[in-house]
Amino acid sequence: MTLAGCLTLAAALFSLGVYGLLTRRQAVAVLVSVELMANAANLCFVAFSRFRGDVTGQALAVFALALTVAEVAVGLALVILLYRAHGDTRVDLASEMKQ
Amino acid sequence: MSDLLILWLPLAVGALTVLALLVDALSPPPASGRAVGWLVVAGLTATLGATFFVDVAGPAAHGAYEASAWTLALQRLFLAAGVIAALGGVDHVAARAPKRAGEYWLLLLASITGMTLLAGARDLILLVVAFELMGIPLYVLAAFAKTDGDRAGVRDRRPSEAALKLYLVGATSTAVTLFGLALLTGMTCATRLDALTATPLQPLATLGALLMLAGFGYKVGVVPFHMWVPDTYQGAWTPFVAFLSVAPKAAGVAALTQVFVLGLGAQHDRWLPALMMLAFLSMAVGNLLALPQTDARRLLAYSGVAQMGYALLGVAAIGEQGAAMTLFFLTSYVFTNMGAFLVVHAVAEGGGGHDLDGLRGLAGRAPGLAAALLCFILSLAGIPFAVGFWAKLYVFLAAWQAGLGGLVIAGVALAALGIFYYLQVLRAAYMTDARGLAAPVVGAPLKLAIGLCLAAVLGFGLWPGPLVEGTARAAHALLTAAAR
Repeated sequence: MTLAGCLTLAAALFSLGVYGLLTRRQAVAVLVSVELMANAANLCFVAFSRFRGDVTGQALAVFALALTVAEVAVGLALVILLYRAHGDTRVDLASEMKQ
Repeated sequence: MSDLLILWLPLAVGALTVLALLVDALSPPPASGRAVGWLVVAGLTATLGATFFVDVAGPAAHGAYEASAWTLALQRLFLAAGVIAALGGVDHVAARAPKRAGEYWLLLLASITGMTLLAGARDLILLVVAFELMGIPLYVLAAFAKTDGDRAGVRDRRPSEAALKLYLVGATSTAVTLFGLALLTGMTCATRLDALTATPLQPLATLGALLMLAGFGYKVGVVPFHMWVPDTYQGAWTPFVAFLSVAPKAAGVAALTQVFVLGLGAQHDRWLPALMMLAFLSMAVGNLLALPQTDARRLLAYSGVAQMGYALLGVAAIGEQGAAMTLFFLTSYVFTNMGAFLVVHAVAEGGGGHDLDGLRGLAGRAPGLAAALLCFILSLAGIPFAVGFWAKLYVFLAAWQAGLGGLVIAGVALAALGIFYYLQVLRAAYMTDARGLAAPVVGAPLKLAIGLCLAAVLGFGLWPGPLVEGTARAAHALLTAAAR
């Protein structure tokens, strides 16, 4: 596998995440889509690290993992809050304030 | 100098967070909320005071962090914003969420720790981590109003919406920023900002830089990434919104300045058009959408979007002058906008609600609050001699001198348009009859917070000289560090 191949895969993963973010209505599915986007970034970090012989990318991937984990923990709590408020976890329920 | 000494300020705020955790854990719930709140006020004030006596400068952690005049100026701004936010919120938090008050203050401190670290970040890894340390607590804080309706027996749905919108936008922007970071660092083999300056940008690296710009744009809330701003401001606690609307935005614009002016300033032909477009769209959409708003918080939200557009003008000017004037603008914006939100909060708590209509007859009911609101709104509108006037003038001048004439003309025209909705706020407060509304009762801490904002707005407005010199020194320190 070449660097270009890895980057293409990452770009595809990222695009898939964006697509899911825009089309999915279930909050958990939206969170998964965001995770896909973040993991595309991780794949890039690791691929560059592997092909350039530079360990910085691997360190960055670990940082990025920690950040996204912290974020998802908060995100799932907010999904629970959404469920308690509306009895469902569709994100489009949370649009009462639009004018 | 040792790394620990250079990092003293973020460490001090971090230590304060731990101390607050201990106090919160060891004291019984009803009393602890207020106690921790006052501890935050005292601790942040002490740290702010200490910055005038501790004189450190230089890089730490292999150049990932740098203590300089730029770092210090921003850190003081964040600490001041933290003190005012704590003063403005201490009564509200203790009254609305007595059992969760300690958590509120811990999260606020964690966010401020992230900001103080961000100001000194000269490495993309530290910058992104500090950004998240600042951002993740804000998602939780935005949801704190979830129990507001409980006493009335109804579940208030708006806090969940406010927090979820902030979260989804924030998490997406993190993913976008990380992807951009991966491309940028991968292609240039550099994470240090000063190492980026020397690297030519290949197309993929340019794409990475633009993705990072988009990611930061989301957090700062510039158009087209502004959708969350009005809803979050409307659904969350107003004392928290007073903080959310200024400190993280100032930190975001500072981070943009660090990455793009310091790191990628030499390759500005790649990203400047995109930044200029963001600035123009923010000024246009923010000012136009603010016109029809009837909720004071939503009006201030769109006004804030427009204000961020002006701030980006200073970044787009690229260079010392631009960075200095951006910093001046951010300082002005922090005190002005916080003050305005706190007055709106005081009036709403007094029974008027958050609508512009709730401000009616304020001049007769509460002349002091009305006068403070007058100063803040005039400053936001950019009327002499409030600090906002100098702020706008200076960023426009910096952008003009950098050859962005068209953008400056558009900005001046849109700022003039903006005066209309600012005057609507004043009309509600000064030209209408109170019709059954009583004078709002304002607690002493909130009064003090509004007073501090007012003092800054008037003080810097009448004597902008020292602040101009300070920001010029700060920008010089930031942009010559790369050459050193």
